[in-house]
Amino acid sequence: MEQFEIIVILLLLSFITLIFTGFPLAWVLGGVSFLFTVIAFALADWFNVDTYFLRSWDDFAVIVDRIYAQMSSWVLVALPMFIFMGLMLDRSGVAERLMKSFAKLFGGLRGGLAITVILIGVLLAASTGIVGASVVLLSMLALPIMLEKNYSKPLMTGVVASSGTLGILIPPSIMLVIMADQLSLPVGTLFMGAVFPGLLLGVCYVLYVVGVGLFNPSAAPAPAQHERITWADVWDTVLAVIPPFGLILAVLGTIFFGIATPTEASGIGAMGATLLAAANKRLNMDVIRQVARETSLTTAFIFGIFLGATAFALVMRSLGGDEFIGDLLKGLPFPDWGVVAFILFVAFISGFFLDWLEISLIILPLVAPVVEALGYDLAWFTVLFAVCLQTSFLTPPVGFSLFYLKGVAPPGIEIQHIYKGVIPFVLIQIFVLVMVFLFEDIVMWLPGQMY
Amino acid sequence: MSAKPVDRQDNAGDHDALPADFNLPRTRVSNVLDKFVRAIGRATAWLWVLLVLVIVLQVALRYLFNMGSIQLEELQWHIYAVGFILGLSYCLVEDRHVRVDVIAERLRPKTRAWIEMLGLTFLLLPFLTTILIQSVPYIWSSFIQSETSAAPGGLPYRWILKSFMFWGFLLLIIAALARFLRCTAFIFGLPRPIWPRD
Amino acid sequence: QDKVRWQMTMGFPSTLPALADTGPWVAEQLDKMSGGNIDLRVFEPGKLVKGTEVYDAVSSGKVDSGYVWAGYEIGKLPASALYGAVPFGMEPAQFAAWMLEKGGQEMMEEIYAPQNIVPLFCGTISPESAGWFTFPLESLDQVEGLKIRFAGLGGEILQKLGASVTLLPGSELFEALEKGVIDATEFSLPVVDEQLGFYKVAKFYHLPGWHQPSTNQYLYINKEKWDALDDQTQAMFRTACTAGVAKSIARAEGTQGAALQRLQEEHGVEAVEVPEEVLVELKKAANEVMAEYSAKDENFKRVYDSMTAFMAENAQWHRMGYLPRDWRANHPELYGDDAATTGN
Ligand code: NA
Ligand code: NA
Repeated sequence: MEQFEIIVILLLLSFITLIFTGFPLAWVLGGVSFLFTVIAFALADWFNVDTYFLRSWDDFAVIVDRIYAQMSSWVLVALPMFIFMGLMLDRSGVAERLMKSFAKLFGGLRGGLAITVILIGVLLAASTGIVGASVVLLSMLALPIMLEKNYSKPLMTGVVASSGTLGILIPPSIMLVIMADQLSLPVGTLFMGAVFPGLLLGVCYVLYVVGVGLFNPSAAPAPAQHERITWADVWDTVLAVIPPFGLILAVLGTIFFGIATPTEASGIGAMGATLLAAANKRLNMDVIRQVARETSLTTAFIFGIFLGATAFALVMRSLGGDEFIGDLLKGLPFPDWGVVAFILFVAFISGFFLDWLEISLIILPLVAPVVEALGYDLAWFTVLFAVCLQTSFLTPPVGFSLFYLKGVAPPGIEIQHIYKGVIPFVLIQIFVLVMVFLFEDIVMWLPGQMY
Repeated sequence: MSAKPVDRQDNAGDHDALPADFNLPRTRVSNVLDKFVRAIGRATAWLWVLLVLVIVLQVALRYLFNMGSIQLEELQWHIYAVGFILGLSYCLVEDRHVRVDVIAERLRPKTRAWIEMLGLTFLLLPFLTTILIQSVPYIWSSFIQSETSAAPGGLPYRWILKSFMFWGFLLLIIAALARFLRCTAFIFGLPRPIWPRD
Repeated sequence: QDKVRWQMTMGFPSTLPALADTGPWVAEQLDKMSGGNIDLRVFEPGKLVKGTEVYDAVSSGKVDSGYVWAGYEIGKLPASALYGAVPFGMEPAQFAAWMLEKGGQEMMEEIYAPQNIVPLFCGTISPESAGWFTFPLESLDQVEGLKIRFAGLGGEILQKLGASVTLLPGSELFEALEKGVIDATEFSLPVVDEQLGFYKVAKFYHLPGWHQPSTNQYLYINKEKWDALDDQTQAMFRTACTAGVAKSIARAEGTQGAALQRLQEEHGVEAVEVPEEVLVELKKAANEVMAEYSAKDENFKRVYDSMTAFMAENAQWHRMGYLPRDWRANHPELYGDDAATTGN
């Protein structure tokens, strides 16, 4: 092993240790990179250690050029815009209306409310993609009614957490935008590629709820008596569905019909959500101010990690870490598909502790060249990876969706209900992951139709 | 990760309340610094509204009138760049940078304050200072070569955009120093801690 | 002999044939001829810095060297655009002649010296195509309002004719073209364009490459690091790069014919000649753009004047010394050609 490869291992270990101190991740990444730069110089100067391409301040100063590269990335403009859109939609009252009319329509069925949550989750996912907002919204709308109707607590929390998480995968998706930027893949291809895996997840969730209704009726009770559904209720539902479909059309439609690129579509979507809020009489200066500020804060916490990760990647790379890890992976005694499976397994396990953003920024760029060299389609692999990272929202101890849910859940719902509730959904995620792994067409068919 | 919902709504109306997360006290100096950074952060948040308008305008011009404008295209990522780089310090003041606090939340507040102070001293501040220093020659070289966009008919004065890297990191350092003072106030009682009234 | 281990950061991915793969080839030659003493490590674009930032990074000494197209730095050093590619400019052999025999290289080193860069001429390739269109360009009035992605001086020239020029990032280019967000895009050589798969989204391939009769690559080396090398090592670098020029001319010219045929026969692409009336207007606009830059920038004027002087001197020879361009197409019977293979 080369001397610089030992430093790489120490760098990784220090990072893993330091994130558990609770210091912000972004600054752990940046700070560790700085510390190891200093260590590398000292070792090179005083002990004549071979530190590969980390030999002078100039080698670290490239960080400035790399930050400017982030600043001048047009593709990443979509990120704050999709965030803006999601936050605005959250305040537009669209989801409340959906919940009310869907609950009326399906509330009489066994497990009907749970299915309602999944349907709204899919609709929200396709019109926006801020997981936090979706989970919070679904929790506040659905949990009180489901409690009242005696649904089992694990079932309802599991349904809400996982349905709210679909938005990170089903386009528009900021995760796919970031991955496209990292790997220089077309955003549109990833968007189209993620549609069927995302819908498949939704379908599997529904099937699971139906299954629970059949085999464990007390978990998903049917109400003793339910109001009769009138045509007016159906019409109400149709009206409630129009706005989210309008927004889906504003984003995916403008891409599909050649009016705008995916980046520009994000701005159109943000405008669309604002108009929806106005149509529902929810728009005022205060709402715009809140949405703008919240967009800044959310964008900034993502870019903080971007900054840290770009420093970390630079130091890793300058120490020869890319080749080192690539060679390790290629040297595994597995067949090609085994290497890919192993990478996904690592991403899945990392997902317990890290979230999608760090994994996309740190692990994905390291492993993508290896997967490409093995001859796999990078777009397919990226979508697989995305499904894997979507799961990280649901896996404790660090699972964003679980925290969001707990943060707004009504009294009586404990964290163990939530942990217990997500287990079947994590298993469904793994099932879909395996399906996508085995049947490449689930991803590749739709983008193939585009060209 | 900190379990803060993304759409916390409590920071919009109340203009004076500064956060007192995991029981860090405020101090007189840190209040001044925090308010300064936050005021800039809040003002720049309007850039996102502007960005929406610019994108809609750009798409409308091209789709309806076959008029492309490279300046409008460039303006989009200029706005975005300024927005996120100045937003970083605002995010720090509001303590919204993501933490892995599975273990940390079980620690005593004083231990957490120590970790925070050491992290600021050995991880964050050196990192920020290095970038701040290194950004100067980068911006300077753009300035003396009167760099313009490489795009045909693109925007001039590229150094202005690049200089936001300096301002962004300067604000980050200010925000980090404010936080540092709040740690020392808690640990050593220096400067004098101000605890929020409940 | 010095021991050198340098980063060589790429302007384009080294997988692109002729356009970029000469860089790693030159590195390999240096390794061999120095007996392993010169080690240039290839870093793909973005691994250290983006392709557009290579000039800055080498200039400030943050990166040792880079293999890159000159012209990204047009916003800082306008003359660089002329070294990258000149609309209606010289063909590869002419450009090599001007660089290596007519003082082009020396002038470039002078211009780049204050920027702390030694630029070694290290590759030149055949004309790039005039672009992928979703419809054939048949007349001048189609240029007005044409939504086209076009970088550099060529883009500026098209703007003068009323085209709506855009600079979409590469990752959005395909969809934008496929969905009709734009009508056309310029990219690179047939063999590169084929590899990137533009034929999937646009079927009309326009020629000639009026905006880039030759496209030129350089090995940028940080001047302090270069000055520290001994004569023998410097000589190896210069020799390897001159070999790189020969290699890239051969590699580019050697692959285009087959690539152009494959595009038409296997991928259903139609090769379209840009109408002469359009070329005439483009040249007029090019003259204006060149005059504007020459008026603004002294180095630009100096380089452009030297280039045009050489082209004037070479013009009669270039026309009469070689068989006419359409000689073979006009006399297929003499070669036993059927018209399709020569593009008529
Ligand atoms: Na989504
Ligand atoms: Na997790």
